Amino acid sequence: MSALIDKLRRLRNQAGVQAAPPVPAMPVPVSDALARIGDERQRLRRLLDLRPSGKPSPRMPARATLPLRGEEIAPGLYALEQRYGAESLSPLLPPRWPDCTPLARARFLCFDTETTGLAGGSGTRAFMIGAADWIGDELRVRQLYLTAMSGEGAMLAAFARWLRPDTVLVSYNGRSYDAPLLAVRYRLQRLVNPLRDCAHVDLLHPVRRIYRGRWENCRLATIERNVLRIVREDDLPGSEAPAAWRAFLRDGRSTDLMRVLEHNRQDVVTLARLLEHMDQNATPSAWLTSA
Amino acid sequence: MSTDLARLIADKLPAPPDPARLLARLAQRYADRITGQFTVPARPARYAELPADLSPQLREALRLRGISQLYSHQAEAWNAVQRGLHTVVVTPTASGKSLCYTLPVVDAAIRSRAKALYLFPTKALAQDQVAELLELNRAGNLGVRAYTFDGDTPGDARQAIRLHGDIVVSNPDMLHQGMLPHHTKWAQFFENLRYVVIDEIHSYRGVFGSHLANVLRRLARICAFYGVEPTFILCSATIGNPQEHAENLVGRPVHAITDSGAPSGEKHVLLWNPPVVNPDLGLRASARSQVTRIARAAIRAKLKALVFAPSRLMVEVLTKYLKDVFDHDPRKPARIHAYRGGYLPTERRRTEQLMRAGQIDGLVSTSALELGVDIGALDVVLLQGYPGSIAATWQRFGRAGRRQQGSIGVLVASSQPLDQYIVRHPEFFRAAPPEQARIAPDQPLILLDHIRCAAFELAFVDGDSFGPVPPEAYLQVLAESDVVHREGSRWEWIADAYPANAVNLRSVADGNFVVVDRSDGRQSIIAEVDYSSAALTLYEGAIHMVQSVPYQVEKLDWDGRKAYVTRTHVDYYTDAIDYTRLKVLERFDGIRAGQGNAYLGEVHVVRRVAGYKKIRYYTHENIGYGPVTLPDQELHTTALWWQLPQEALDEAFASRQDALDGFLGAATALHTVASVRVMAESRDLMKSVGSGDASAFVERDQRGRGQWRVADDAAAGDTERFTPTVYLYDNYPGGVGLSDPLFRVQAELVREARELIAACACRAGCPACVGPVLAVDEDAAATPKAQAARVLALLHAA
Repeated sequence: MSALIDKLRRLRNQAGVQAAPPVPAMPVPVSDALARIGDERQRLRRLLDLRPSGKPSPRMPARATLPLRGEEIAPGLYALEQRYGAESLSPLLPPRWPDCTPLARARFLCFDTETTGLAGGSGTRAFMIGAADWIGDELRVRQLYLTAMSGEGAMLAAFARWLRPDTVLVSYNGRSYDAPLLAVRYRLQRLVNPLRDCAHVDLLHPVRRIYRGRWENCRLATIERNVLRIVREDDLPGSEAPAAWRAFLRDGRSTDLMRVLEHNRQDVVTLARLLEHMDQNATPSAWLTSA
Repeated sequence: MSTDLARLIADKLPAPPDPARLLARLAQRYADRITGQFTVPARPARYAELPADLSPQLREALRLRGISQLYSHQAEAWNAVQRGLHTVVVTPTASGKSLCYTLPVVDAAIRSRAKALYLFPTKALAQDQVAELLELNRAGNLGVRAYTFDGDTPGDARQAIRLHGDIVVSNPDMLHQGMLPHHTKWAQFFENLRYVVIDEIHSYRGVFGSHLANVLRRLARICAFYGVEPTFILCSATIGNPQEHAENLVGRPVHAITDSGAPSGEKHVLLWNPPVVNPDLGLRASARSQVTRIARAAIRAKLKALVFAPSRLMVEVLTKYLKDVFDHDPRKPARIHAYRGGYLPTERRRTEQLMRAGQIDGLVSTSALELGVDIGALDVVLLQGYPGSIAATWQRFGRAGRRQQGSIGVLVASSQPLDQYIVRHPEFFRAAPPEQARIAPDQPLILLDHIRCAAFELAFVDGDSFGPVPPEAYLQVLAESDVVHREGSRWEWIADAYPANAVNLRSVADGNFVVVDRSDGRQSIIAEVDYSSAALTLYEGAIHMVQSVPYQVEKLDWDGRKAYVTRTHVDYYTDAIDYTRLKVLERFDGIRAGQGNAYLGEVHVVRRVAGYKKIRYYTHENIGYGPVTLPDQELHTTALWWQLPQEALDEAFASRQDALDGFLGAATALHTVASVRVMAESRDLMKSVGSGDASAFVERDQRGRGQWRVADDAAAGDTERFTPTVYLYDNYPGGVGLSDPLFRVQAELVREARELIAACACRAGCPACVGPVLAVDEDAAATPKAQAARVLALLHAA
């Protein structure tokens, strides 16, 4: 197989492609030799020197890594649940809610995804979904994450089971990013999209209206630090999540993936706190305009 | 009294314009410049009834638009499509081919809300099509929703189009970059997709066509995901292999309809060669001067004329000359208009409208007008320069013609070798079948790019194929560069990238250079040059022409892929001095060619640009040199080549020098006829002369004579052997499918090259046959032209 790579790399260099040298990876087994070769294919083959590599090579042993948290609830899918005491359980009225009646706390589901990139389109997927909601007298944080691509269907089905017809989704930029992305994934897995019919409060917009210009940006991390006074230690930035996932898939290195898990957990906890902070019911005089 | 009045009125009415009179005048006055003249006979219309199973609302809408019967080919198309056959309609311009696809598409939309995707090569055509659909829709109140979907579609309109569009009119680039990678957003559209209409498929050839074939393979995968198998309806202008080309593009059997039922008037075709003004150098009067003359005569004779010019600059120049004659009164509406890319779309639409209404007498255009835009009927079409292929020439001529009356088409040759060849072989032009359109969809780099895009769109599963290609090898290459991840039997996308953005459908792999104009302190991108041509045309000091406007390259940022230029007014142009060394890596096939052999195979080409010459315009004097320091370019591609054994050379040639001159000349002639054959753009196919093992190569010296140069790294023993070889190779890494078909007809190429040289009127050689020859030899038997003829004679199979 290396002859093929050499040939293609050489052709690409000749065409002026400036590619970084490929990351050395484990050789992968070839399914079967190229059968049914016609005239054209023979020429192509010569050009690319396609030869099956022979015997498959073993997977590299996973390096010493942090153990995966949670439990495997389906092949390739891990789930983790944590609970915290809730300070208050009063009903909440989200900003810009169409009517004035506050909603029972149990209806809200604060969620956030970690994805394989920002490119959009059908090639980007969520590998982790976290959600925080109030149950009984606790704040419950549940997280789902993939340890293999094949777990995606199970993850989407599990997430769908967390939603009820009267669920109010809460997110940060979720209407523009997370929800459309999940819509794509549900469609590709040929599952009904459960988010479509749920009410969805995207806190980014009211936060921007209130806090625009006060700090360097309105990112969740900035608001978290300056408004909610939450400080994270040793946080893996969200932009490094895709690389952490790839490193896990390729080499079994789970340390950074676990850091992403922690980052995601804090994200949804922060969302819950932010929702409480923006509750119109609690501090109506803080808003400049009503809904 | 009344008869006097009648006569008075009759005298005031303008005489009806008659192309035949103009034809007779031209034939008489310029007999020495007309190298060929022939007539294509008129054809009556053949009609058919509107199909019985056409929906009544559509029938009524057609009636309100004045259509109560069809041409035979339109009815044939309906029948084929109703049977579920993929169909290609091959008829000339203005034969009503859009009805061939509009009828089935609109009918299905009315009956069952079936959807259709239209692909056009340009936005102008797309907009025209939507306008027509809306007219039909309005006339019959059909409720069919048609929209354009391209880069200009505003964001908020896009979602509405995805959900509600019945007919989405787009282009290949948008399908590739904007629709397929977001196919889930189009789920409703794809689930109901019944027809895919692709117009002007003859323009999808070469690299662009190879890319489109792969985009259609990706479309097929996505349609399969949504459980549909749409019918393809394709339209082509006349090319040599419309059915084969259509089948190559869509990867399925296609039913061809080639008999047009539309009427056409008699067409008179003239081939025109400007008179020679310098016999030794082979210089002729400019094609522009001739075109201006003929256009003036035509417009004075009250005929409507369309002139095709080779560049935007030429359009402006010609328009100016004609306006000087006809539009000197600014109070009157302009009779002469120019039409080219670079004008605003609104201006172009206005010009098209005026043309259709018959209010413009002369239109000067670039090839921007070649595709199907409707501009009404014309009397005279003039071509300044050969458009590069027989097929394109006939398509342009096709613009002329009214139903009841004859029309005239004139091809005026420039001094380019191809032009001269065509105009001196009128019988070739007349009898030549239009060229075949060729694509190479399995070109490895193109395939890799599209498999990468396809993996982004839908994961590959073991056993999947990509069109007819098993993708495993490519997926493994992608896995090794961390782009896909294999898990179980699936290959999933994991990179954080949007691959379609990095794939340019008009080039092979990334690496294009942009030309940045730094004149007047601004910085604007004025052109793009592909990687293979960059070293030859963008070295520092080069005069680089963009649309015939000269710029000088001040700085070349090789790694950044940028060339900075400023507008220049120098009186010379530059020509790179490049050496190519070819090494044969593998022979796929070989055949005897006269006393020598011809081969097809894989070669390794090293190209070095060592410097450049400065050549003064008109006199062609060499007024200086400049150095060039750029990295060598290597190319691994397919080629065909001819060789003669040492004995044959010893017998036929008095000296090595003679043989070398012969090979250089033969290479030029072969390259010319081969380029004609494959409809190649000028830089797609390259030529080279050298020894087969890259130990030596041949270059032209200052006097145009061949010099055998031994490469620096050649082994000592190699210098003794003398095996000159003529190579023609595809100028893209991995090849682009040109060499193979040329090899199959190599004997004909040799014959045509011999004929080219024999028929050339120059004495010792000229750019039109064997290449520029500046040294004039006394001995007629030893001219470069004669030597080239000798080489070709040796290669000619008896």
